[in-house]
Amino acid sequence: MSPVTFTATQARQKVGSKYLRNGIIIATASGVTYGLYTAFITLAMSMGVWEDWYGPNLALLSLFTITYVLGSLGSAVNYTLSAVWATGAAAVKGKLRDFVRSIKTKPGRTLVIASLVGGPISTSAYVIGLQLAGSIIIPITALCPAIGAILARIFYKQKLTARMLFGIAICVLATVLIGLQAVEPDAHPNMLLGIIIASVAAFGWGFEGCIAGYATAFIDDDIAILIRQSVAGLSGLIILAPLFALIGGNVGEVVMLAGRIVTDMGSFPIFFISSFFALYTFKWWYKGNSMCGAALGMACNGTFSFWGPLFCWLILGLIVGQDGWALPPVAWVAAVLMFIGVLFIAVNPLMIFKKKEVA
Amino acid sequence: MKQPLNCAILKLFKSLDEACYADVMDKLKAEYGDMRAFTRKGVDGVLMTAVTNGILEETRYELDKNGDLKIFYRANDEGKATIEKYLPH
Repeated sequence: MSPVTFTATQARQKVGSKYLRNGIIIATASGVTYGLYTAFITLAMSMGVWEDWYGPNLALLSLFTITYVLGSLGSAVNYTLSAVWATGAAAVKGKLRDFVRSIKTKPGRTLVIASLVGGPISTSAYVIGLQLAGSIIIPITALCPAIGAILARIFYKQKLTARMLFGIAICVLATVLIGLQAVEPDAHPNMLLGIIIASVAAFGWGFEGCIAGYATAFIDDDIAILIRQSVAGLSGLIILAPLFALIGGNVGEVVMLAGRIVTDMGSFPIFFISSFFALYTFKWWYKGNSMCGAALGMACNGTFSFWGPLFCWLILGLIVGQDGWALPPVAWVAAVLMFIGVLFIAVNPLMIFKKKEVA
Repeated sequence: MKQPLNCAILKLFKSLDEACYADVMDKLKAEYGDMRAFTRKGVDGVLMTAVTNGILEETRYELDKNGDLKIFYRANDEGKATIEKYLPH
């Protein structure tokens, strides 16, 4: 091998390592921002008008409205504001013209479908599952990275080896460990139905991560996220929340509640913060999945099950002073397990030892 | 109507045997040169992401006279079929 070729090989290896490292950083950062977004949306939905709705309920809202209509409205407002942030980011980067062009392409339409499945459909399934079965569904929805990796194998023939599956299993186990902390001892009467519905959420998020990650190979990630947040936000506001209100028997209520939410200065400014983090959560999730493949990207993003409780403890517990946000010690064990799991998916640990032997 | 930039980059590989970032930028400069996103970093990112997702494959690499690394890519038959499926004429 000539010295020139050797230098080219070194340069190529450096570019390849940098690309993979950036992909892992971006995918993991999506988990960190997911934790921040969770903490801030939880904070927003505990202040101002929400404090009464979820507390003394002087507004006399029905239990159905509090559970389903408010949950879907909170999520829809957050996504819609996130779409506003995404529009600004795309405009600043001079990419706004690509939005209309992209939505007319097949990958653009694929992103719309992925957004509907992962946004309103999975979010509703999660909320309904939580109500019917309790927090036992949290570990079930943690299966979404494994589902995403399997779907990517089936749809796009992405690599999925026994070592990667082992790594994914470690990550899922770590998330289950955290989720089990929230499981109540008493069984809910509709537990089985709740678990089935929650499985729809796990499948939906796995589907979204896999499909949207692939579509982001065709569509710029700044545009992909603008499509995602616009579809998730507007479909929540225009379809999902009114649908829940209709089922609850008072469709007009949704307009009144939405009006209260957007004019409430106690909580609305906090939605601006949560929606900002939601933008980077999903943008980096899509980008990380497209750069690393669904198996690695979704496992890195799955670390949100550690970052979520951590930021809830830091922001809601330590800074705001709300009770009940202490971080269980097992979360730290789970974080170490997740790191090991991600390592197994990304590289063959045996290669690290082999390299050391050569050195 | 113009294609989105990423789609235009991948569509090129339906007719090109092989190309690096510089070839891609040359081909698209007239139409997309005014876009702020039309940079080497951006084009490189699209090409490498397409490899991760099995749309393109790397054929070779070399250092040019300035010591700049050029990675060449192509779409094999399956890749061309995928591009055609997602971005038909």
